[in-house]
Amino acid sequence: MGANPMIRLRGVTKSYTRGGEALVVLDRLDLEMEQGGFYALMGPSGSGKTTLLNLIGGLDHADEGQIWIEDEDIARMDGPELAAWRAEKVGFVFQGFNLIPVLTAQENVELPLLLTPLSRRERHEHARLALELVGLDDRRGHRPSQLSGGQEQRVAIARALVTDPRLILADEPTGDLDRKSADDVLGLLQRLNRDFDKTILMVTHDPEAAQKARAIVHMEKGGTLGRIEPLEAVRP
Amino acid sequence: MIPLALVTKNLGKHKLRFVLTVLSLSVAIFLLCVLRSLVVALNAGVADAAANRIIVQSKVSLFVQLPQSYGPRLALVEGVEALARWNWFGGYYQDPANFFAQFATDPEELFDVYPEIQVVEGSKADFLANRKACLLGVDTAAKYGIRVGDTMPIIGALYPTADGSAWDFTVAGLYESKRKSVDQNTLFFHYEYLEKSLESGFASGPGGVGIFVLKVAPGFDPVEVMSEVDALYENGPQAVQATSESEFQAQFVSMVGNVPLLVSSIGGGVMLAILLATLNTMLMSAREQTRDIGVLKALGFTDGSVSGVLFLQALVLAGCGGLLGMILATASAPGIAAAIGSMFPGYQVTRGTLLEAAGATALIGVLAGIAPAVRARAMTVIDALRAVR
Ligand SMILES: Nc1ncnc2c1ncn2[C@@H]1O[C@H](COP(=O)(O)OP(=O)(O)OP(=O)(O)O)[C@@H](O)[C@H]1O
Ligand SMILES: [Mg+2]
Repeated sequence: MGANPMIRLRGVTKSYTRGGEALVVLDRLDLEMEQGGFYALMGPSGSGKTTLLNLIGGLDHADEGQIWIEDEDIARMDGPELAAWRAEKVGFVFQGFNLIPVLTAQENVELPLLLTPLSRRERHEHARLALELVGLDDRRGHRPSQLSGGQEQRVAIARALVTDPRLILADEPTGDLDRKSADDVLGLLQRLNRDFDKTILMVTHDPEAAQKARAIVHMEKGGTLGRIEPLEAVRP
Repeated sequence: MIPLALVTKNLGKHKLRFVLTVLSLSVAIFLLCVLRSLVVALNAGVADAAANRIIVQSKVSLFVQLPQSYGPRLALVEGVEALARWNWFGGYYQDPANFFAQFATDPEELFDVYPEIQVVEGSKADFLANRKACLLGVDTAAKYGIRVGDTMPIIGALYPTADGSAWDFTVAGLYESKRKSVDQNTLFFHYEYLEKSLESGFASGPGGVGIFVLKVAPGFDPVEVMSEVDALYENGPQAVQATSESEFQAQFVSMVGNVPLLVSSIGGGVMLAILLATLNTMLMSAREQTRDIGVLKALGFTDGSVSGVLFLQALVLAGCGGLLGMILATASAPGIAAAIGSMFPGYQVTRGTLLEAAGATALIGVLAGIAPAVRARAMTVIDALRAVR
């Protein structure tokens, strides 16, 4: 791997206690991912993909280990620090879209900008541009219930990129979509990676989706990482 | 940074639920205002009592008559400037449900002892001159559409006439009262007329006098006058009890039972019920927003601002209901005053009552908001995002 990792995990352990028994999901995991990469994370159900993604996104705490994102060890951050870090550095895309149902597409995309120093007018303009980028500027006034699944996920992508984070984490973003919508969403992610230099980590069960990435990370049952399979050179 | 759009939009999401909760809140706050105003009206006489007036009644009970001969003797007590007799007539106008007080009194002394009574229509002189004349409070006059010069037939329940007919009083004047110590509902007529009617056999009923009201001359201590009056008849023939006007009014209020306590209990019950209803609405609404809580936290909103979204919803919900209730209470006050003014003279929704209602509203909002806010704060992103919509 190159000398310029975006994500660097060292000895990361995460376990859950269920019914008094400890279930170790990630056991002293080491991992590196390049800046500017587009990684598909694949593996059997229950192998710990979502757990890993949540740790890298600062949504959950590791039991042990270091999680370096660029030059910060987020494993050392407390709750409020992590919240501020997430607002600035990461964009999330979820399988279930997770748009706020009472807000319009425009308002959903503007939401993360409330945490920035941008003025009202700037927030509006940035959100408009983000929606334009995902091809939905004509749906700005629609609420999630008035959109198709594919459109909802594109709004969610607009929300993830509107703060211009360097890292985008997507957990099965096409899991609930038909082929055509899935391809639209994957095409968008590819564009964000190519044209806007976003580092993307995407969990997927769909081999076709995984082929759109530049590398596939295989995860074994029991949380051990297999090889990273490069699909193309990370940097042309 | 609390995303305020989420506060209003989530409240407006279930319009019917919002409207129903606001309506029940407004009814509760309206009731609270009315109950409180009743207590204020009851206590108005106490609060506005004159310091220089002494009420003399039988030591046994307010309902035991005193001999008339006490009057001239009481007038001689040092420091007593004037004296008026009040005798409860206990009659009714047309229907027993038409309640307002009638008193037989000494017209000239009445104006002397009660300067707050002011004739605003008709003439004081006519009232003084004509033995069968009466002076009527403007509120009662307005309620029954009675004008100066009308004859007012009053059935004497306590003082029935021999042939069962009504007592006919000619309305010589209408009065307004400048203080709450006297209401604007009462009918005053000549004590002498009552006395003569009993003597002539025109009517029958208890003789004597209900109470004597003494006006203390400037420079004299009412407390000393009271103890002198008490001492005067200590050994009979009938012991009396002298009280200050405010004490007397307070005793009168407590005769109705412990109304403030009763009202507080009812008010407390109403508040508890509406708190539970509001809490129920808020918990339901908060449950529906569980995923949103996860999304907001994932986006980087702090635990504090996420719980603020829910807390503010409770405050706004309670605020809308409370405001509507206070508007209802204020708007309906003249109507309620007209309807029950004879029982609760001086009914009005005061600033103090509205402030209390605002306080109760805020308390309901805070209490209904705490549980959802605490839950939202404590919930982890992962758990919140797992919630099914
Ligand atoms: N909050 C939790 N409490 C207890 N166990 C959990 C929790 N979250 C995950 N697990 C367990 O940890 C293991 C890994 O879960 P994870 O969701 O990371 O798997 P995954 O690889 O994303 O699976 P899938 O492909 O089905 O989404 C599973 O056995 C799961 O049951
Ligand atoms: Mg998963």
